[in-house]
Amino acid sequence: MPLAYMSNYSWEDIAPIPQDDGGENPLAPIAYQDDYKTATGYLRAVMSVEEVSDRALQLTSDLIFMNPAHYSVWAYRARLLFALKKDLEQELIWIEEVGQQFPKNYQIWNHREVIVDKYHNPIRELPFVEVMLELDSKNYHVWSYRQWLVRRFDLWLTELPYTDRMIENDVRNNSAWNHRFFTVFGKGVDIGQSVIDDEIDYAKRAILKAPQNASAWNYLLGVLKRAQRPISEIEEFCSDLAAATGTEQSVDVDIDRIASTRALEVLADIYASRREVEKATQAWTLLAEKYDPIRENYWKFKKAQTDQHFTATA
Amino acid sequence: MTAEQNTVHNEELSVVDSLITESSTTQDEVARMCAGMILDGQLAVLQRQLHADFLKIPTSFQLPPNYTGLDASKPWLIYWPLHALEILDPDNQTDDILSRIGPSIMACLNELEGAFGGGNGQTAHLAATYASLNALAISRDEQVWSQINREGLYKWLMSVKLPDGGFSMHIGGEEDVRAVYCALASAALLNIITPELTEGTAEWISRCQTYEGGIGGAPGNEAHGGYAFCGLAALCILGNPVEMIPKYLDVDSFVHWLSARQYQPEGGFSGRTNKLVDGCYSWWVGGCWSILEGVLPWITSKDVLWSKADLQKYILYCCQSPRGGLRDKPGKSSDFYHSCYVLSGLSEVQHRYSFRPKLRESKSGEWSFMWTYELESPDIVIIDEQNVVGPLNPVHVLPAGVGERMHDFYAALGTLEL
Repeated sequence: MPLAYMSNYSWEDIAPIPQDDGGENPLAPIAYQDDYKTATGYLRAVMSVEEVSDRALQLTSDLIFMNPAHYSVWAYRARLLFALKKDLEQELIWIEEVGQQFPKNYQIWNHREVIVDKYHNPIRELPFVEVMLELDSKNYHVWSYRQWLVRRFDLWLTELPYTDRMIENDVRNNSAWNHRFFTVFGKGVDIGQSVIDDEIDYAKRAILKAPQNASAWNYLLGVLKRAQRPISEIEEFCSDLAAATGTEQSVDVDIDRIASTRALEVLADIYASRREVEKATQAWTLLAEKYDPIRENYWKFKKAQTDQHFTATA
Repeated sequence: MTAEQNTVHNEELSVVDSLITESSTTQDEVARMCAGMILDGQLAVLQRQLHADFLKIPTSFQLPPNYTGLDASKPWLIYWPLHALEILDPDNQTDDILSRIGPSIMACLNELEGAFGGGNGQTAHLAATYASLNALAISRDEQVWSQINREGLYKWLMSVKLPDGGFSMHIGGEEDVRAVYCALASAALLNIITPELTEGTAEWISRCQTYEGGIGGAPGNEAHGGYAFCGLAALCILGNPVEMIPKYLDVDSFVHWLSARQYQPEGGFSGRTNKLVDGCYSWWVGGCWSILEGVLPWITSKDVLWSKADLQKYILYCCQSPRGGLRDKPGKSSDFYHSCYVLSGLSEVQHRYSFRPKLRESKSGEWSFMWTYELESPDIVIIDEQNVVGPLNPVHVLPAGVGERMHDFYAALGTLEL
């Protein structure tokens, strides 16, 4: 069955430009299917004169279904849509079909951004983004697109509840945590300490569900740092999770009860910040020798860095 | 550390969460699968001939129709396998292959725009331009080099430069750190870096560092291994990396995030927090380590901060496909992309790179060509003759000496009026 661009339009006036792979014996030539070879021949011909026509638009539709990674086709299509003053909502619906058929394709996101930016209306956007994140909850390009949308249309209000839901589904979804950080701090306005307190509590509750979850820890420490609050604020929380008890000189970890090695790491940093070098060293040694030996040299480096710092400032 | 000790990490006490989610299920599967393949004692052998045969496919045959999805990545289909072939064994690179690079790449040039596209008649694109120039560097084809219109290419680069300091991949395309790296690496090879081209760019990269310590694709985006490399390498082109890296990145948090990318028992790197290991990050994350170790003396000291021995095991046991070529992880097919970056990662494991600025005053555009290397110490990783691969330039991801030669060729032509 001929493709729509062929059956609906006449191409008799166009001389297709054949693929040129370069020289007599080119590297990496592809044995294209005939349909694709013919369609790209017409594409090169119309693109070379920047033809603005309905048949060219139909050609881009057909080609995108044959090879959605063909970025030149997407860019040409956007120029055609604007030049022909096409209904942009129809385009958004069409992109949704392409997205569902090729969920891993990322060219659609830049294209959709270009279209929605001109369309000035984000009404279809969040539902579509959510469908795509259901297919792949860590799809980098979809999350990036969502950030663009939130900034472009000032959609900040929906975002915290959305990350709640995504983190509820998978507390280890780091993309959702990153989006939460963006939501809380990305607006660039001053944030009250009560918001910071809420976020610290939120992260702590998530850590209690899965104490080894690096996403929640990174978030907790990231919030503290951004709010310029000291990590010593979470010392008790960390001591509990690391099953760490001790005196001013030494720390003791109950190996049967420790639930989080990250808690032990943060404790080491807290000790070091108070110049309790001996205790920090004990924690790093445990990490290097027992709990996280693949990063042994990193823990030794932390210790050496601290020794050097205190020698230098003594 | 003795050679025996650097092969095994098996005395750990593991602390494991009981809560099961989608992330932990897939993670457990991969960890189990890899642990079952990685053996103590003798290393798996690098199947050099098998991989070379796979990598020579684009030089000997028409690629089958299922490669149509890469029809807008033709320069990559040349750069990936040829770079990998050369570090695997320089003798793989025959005069016949090298002489065919020039015409194949020049067919991707968009003459109207002045830069390279993903194939014949395609729109000029930064990733395609980067891959094209890297492939041309590998060709050593001075005749083709002299045909490149550097003024035109410079004008096009300026046309994709954005007011905030970043770059977009093509006119109207997406803005990300990849674009920045591809633009700067291309300009460095052609010796066309100017203050106008680089204005505000280091600051823009700095805005991409996230609360986790890594670098995201654009400000606000999640920290990611590929973008981390692009951002770090771009800083090494923009100026003296000894000054640029600490000035524009929070090095402590970057190193912390980088260090968390290596997983046990797999030994490989993941690209993001709570994602799975993937062989390609052997380069994207490993390349960051190479650069940091070569630039910052307090990291270089004696031991590297991560386990080269464990990454080498992941590569040799888990990333070699029985049909030839390198792969993401067991159960996946090999491809040219993974072959390029897994083998570059292996090269990274086996060499120690140093940034050595020349004594005389360095000019802008030279900074990424001042890297030296030596074989890594046997105290850190066992390198036997069977498994050793060649060194590379850790900023340009090109076989060592190749990018330097291309840059010198253009530098000798004198300064362009830009």
